[in-house]
Amino acid sequence: MDLAIYRRRKLVNRIGLTLSMGAMALGLIVLLWILVVLFKNGFSAIDWAMFTESTPAPGSEGGGLANAIVGSLLMVVVTALVSTPIGIFAGVYLAEYGDQSKTASLTRFVTDIMLSAPSIVLGLFVYAVMVAQMKHFSGWAGTMALSLIAIPVVVRTTENMLRLVPGGLREAAFGLGAPRWKVATFVTLRAARAGVMTGLLLALARISGETAPLLFTALNNQFFSTNMNAPMANLPVVIFQFAMSPYDNWVRLAWGGALLITLTVLVLNIIARVFFRDQGSR
Amino acid sequence: MTKGRADLIELSVMNTSNTLTPSGVANAIEVRNLDFFYGTFKGLKGINLDIAEHKVTAFIGPSGCGKSTLLRTLNRMYSLYPGQRAEGQIKLYGNNVLDAKQDLNLLRAQVGMVFQKPTPFPMSIYDNIAFGVKLYENLSRSEMDDRVEWALSKAAIWGEVKDKLGQSGLSLSGGQQQRLCIARTVAVKPKVILLDEPTSALDPISTAKVEELVSELKNDYTVAIVTHNMQQAARVSDYTAYMYLGELIEFGHTEQIFMKPARQETEDYITGRFG
Amino acid sequence: MNTSPSAPASASSQVQAVARRQRLEDSLFHLITWLFSMLVLLALLGIIASLFITAWPALSKFGSEFIWRVEWDIVNEEFGAAIAIFGTVISAAIALLIAVPLSFGIALFLTENCPVTLRRPLGTAIELLAAVPSIIYGMFGLFIFAPLFAQYGQPALQSTLGQMPIIGHLFGGAMNGIGILAAGIVLAFMILPFIAAVMRDVFEIVPPVLRESAYGLGCTTWEVVRYIVLPYTQKGVIGGVMLGLGRALGETMAVTFVIGNSQRITGSLFSPGSSIASTLANEFGEAADLHMSALFALGLLLFAITFVVLALAKLLIARGEKAKGTKT
Repeated sequence: MDLAIYRRRKLVNRIGLTLSMGAMALGLIVLLWILVVLFKNGFSAIDWAMFTESTPAPGSEGGGLANAIVGSLLMVVVTALVSTPIGIFAGVYLAEYGDQSKTASLTRFVTDIMLSAPSIVLGLFVYAVMVAQMKHFSGWAGTMALSLIAIPVVVRTTENMLRLVPGGLREAAFGLGAPRWKVATFVTLRAARAGVMTGLLLALARISGETAPLLFTALNNQFFSTNMNAPMANLPVVIFQFAMSPYDNWVRLAWGGALLITLTVLVLNIIARVFFRDQGSR
Repeated sequence: MTKGRADLIELSVMNTSNTLTPSGVANAIEVRNLDFFYGTFKGLKGINLDIAEHKVTAFIGPSGCGKSTLLRTLNRMYSLYPGQRAEGQIKLYGNNVLDAKQDLNLLRAQVGMVFQKPTPFPMSIYDNIAFGVKLYENLSRSEMDDRVEWALSKAAIWGEVKDKLGQSGLSLSGGQQQRLCIARTVAVKPKVILLDEPTSALDPISTAKVEELVSELKNDYTVAIVTHNMQQAARVSDYTAYMYLGELIEFGHTEQIFMKPARQETEDYITGRFG
Repeated sequence: MNTSPSAPASASSQVQAVARRQRLEDSLFHLITWLFSMLVLLALLGIIASLFITAWPALSKFGSEFIWRVEWDIVNEEFGAAIAIFGTVISAAIALLIAVPLSFGIALFLTENCPVTLRRPLGTAIELLAAVPSIIYGMFGLFIFAPLFAQYGQPALQSTLGQMPIIGHLFGGAMNGIGILAAGIVLAFMILPFIAAVMRDVFEIVPPVLRESAYGLGCTTWEVVRYIVLPYTQKGVIGGVMLGLGRALGETMAVTFVIGNSQRITGSLFSPGSSIASTLANEFGEAADLHMSALFALGLLLFAITFVVLALAKLLIARGEKAKGTKT
């Protein structure tokens, strides 16, 4: 036995473990730092006006983010309504018929690509097919772009969750003579519903913060409007414009909006987690 | 005795506090008043026994009796998991391995373990064997080749793999993988080899081969084997310990345990009346 | 199904009717779900097609030279993708260089070294970091990181690495906190939680027996992770890194805020540059005709690059499986 070798190995071990602890610490510091900065700068912007008044003109004082908040809410809700059925049905198809069909493996491959495709490219696509054709930006275009981002997420999580349902459960249902579609919806989907819901929530959290695709589709609107057929104000684009500007008032509002988005995203994530833990373990 | 390292390295250390087994054979391991806790649950209660050098000692008993737990105290494997702790003494050639200052890596280099499920490392067959050796010894390439061949021969698998040493360990069958793991353990030349139900995942033919191995290994090593298969214990071991609910019920020569058990509980288990 | 012994004929015809209806329903179900599945497929094809069509004017004018051209002159309508590609690739490379070792360290800590009670909360903290929208990282980068980097980070780099022979000029030039290196660093922290979470997840599914086997031979923790856990999980790890790379390449907001948005390539990492995504974000609003077409060409290139990265990742993963020689 060579003690020298052992001593060196122990040293390497000590160094490696210390470095790993350092990495963890670094990650935590950055997280805390970001949150602290967000709160510090964003909190001062949060007041009643932020929720009631629309975005101010460049250089002027006061104003709020009401139009952006409402616009974002509208688009996210419509996106949810659109992506949920498409995503779930496609996910069901992949899980139920996925092993026998070429379409299924192709779809899975495509979903993977779209999952990692840059969201800005998806925005370009929607611009080319909707905005350019309609000759104007619109909330509908924004919704379509967001849906293109959300749907692959829902498809993947739905499929994964459905596959996790134990085979014995499905076999029991089939054994009773139930038709395939009933097994898929009333048994398997129901059993996996916690996980599927989680997937939905996570998809929503993801699109709440997306900026790039909206730049080319919904653009922005300085005034309050609920007209989906016209450029629609939204938080991310407003933040983008305001933050890079030289106006203090705009920068202040940008921080406020950033805080708002972050809180929404974090809350959605936490709800999804807690929900899955409570419901999923039934 | 500072870190215990020196003592472990001195292979021929004379231990003055050595008690002998009934037949006057030296002890490799002496367990004294061992208690083991999973959190607040007491998994082992006051275990006292000796594991004789160069003999095979088997541990039998129904599920949950603590035999695997006991085995895993011998190489402090439980230390990987917080909330598990042991109290008492376990002396490996006179050195108490439960001592807080005990260097765990060195201990495990001296006390090897083979698990129920074959666990080849994700590397070639050659590297699987060489890996453990490289940890503590500095061998030249030819010396390492010799050691690998020696270990694989000891595990009765050399003939089957000598032409495919570069292939992944995972490409072998279940029985071969387990013999590979045995070879890996043997290669580092430990003092004691612990076998935790080594054949329960294997088919009968592989099982027979491994049992043959165990009988041969005792010429050079001390072997402790946990098995839920009583017939296996009767076939391969020199001493047998019967455990139940965390206690050592009876311990003695295998023949005596199986022919004329001293305790009624032992007899009930052996004859299948219970368990 | 216990039917009473008397009632054969009518029961069977009723059962048959139900069975027929169910078969119809099943076919319908199959069709509907298949349709939705096809929708996703069509979407992708549509994306590629539309990008190509809109990019065509620029592509036909500049040909395949477009990729290498170092030129972005809006006024004279001379475009080339090299500047943007350079910024995209370099910033992503820097991000990976920083994020991968850090992620490995975090995953190691969470699976081997961390006190059990802290494991869940710390793991959740990392996952929450992954959920923070990229625009927040952008703002943080611009308002907090950039000034600090200009004041402390860059001078430190310039006085140490900047003095070395070959790589010295990478750290030369003006130090105003933004630029390609700054963008790379901000990107690193953006993709770090993502890669760390994936690594941690795959580390956790290593069977305990395998770990114990390694410890059983007397390995140290570091050796167990480096020689056993890492090779065992290599496909998952590579997959995670590749996906992180994909995100880094396509990231818009985190980069646009700090990359400086200048259409030049210089030899220094401190100087401002552009990535494909930042160019698109900044110039789209007022682009027209050939400019617009060139932007779409950039978008198409970005899509192609991320596609190649993803395909390579899948290939590597598949090869990794074969090489391990896992018996089916």
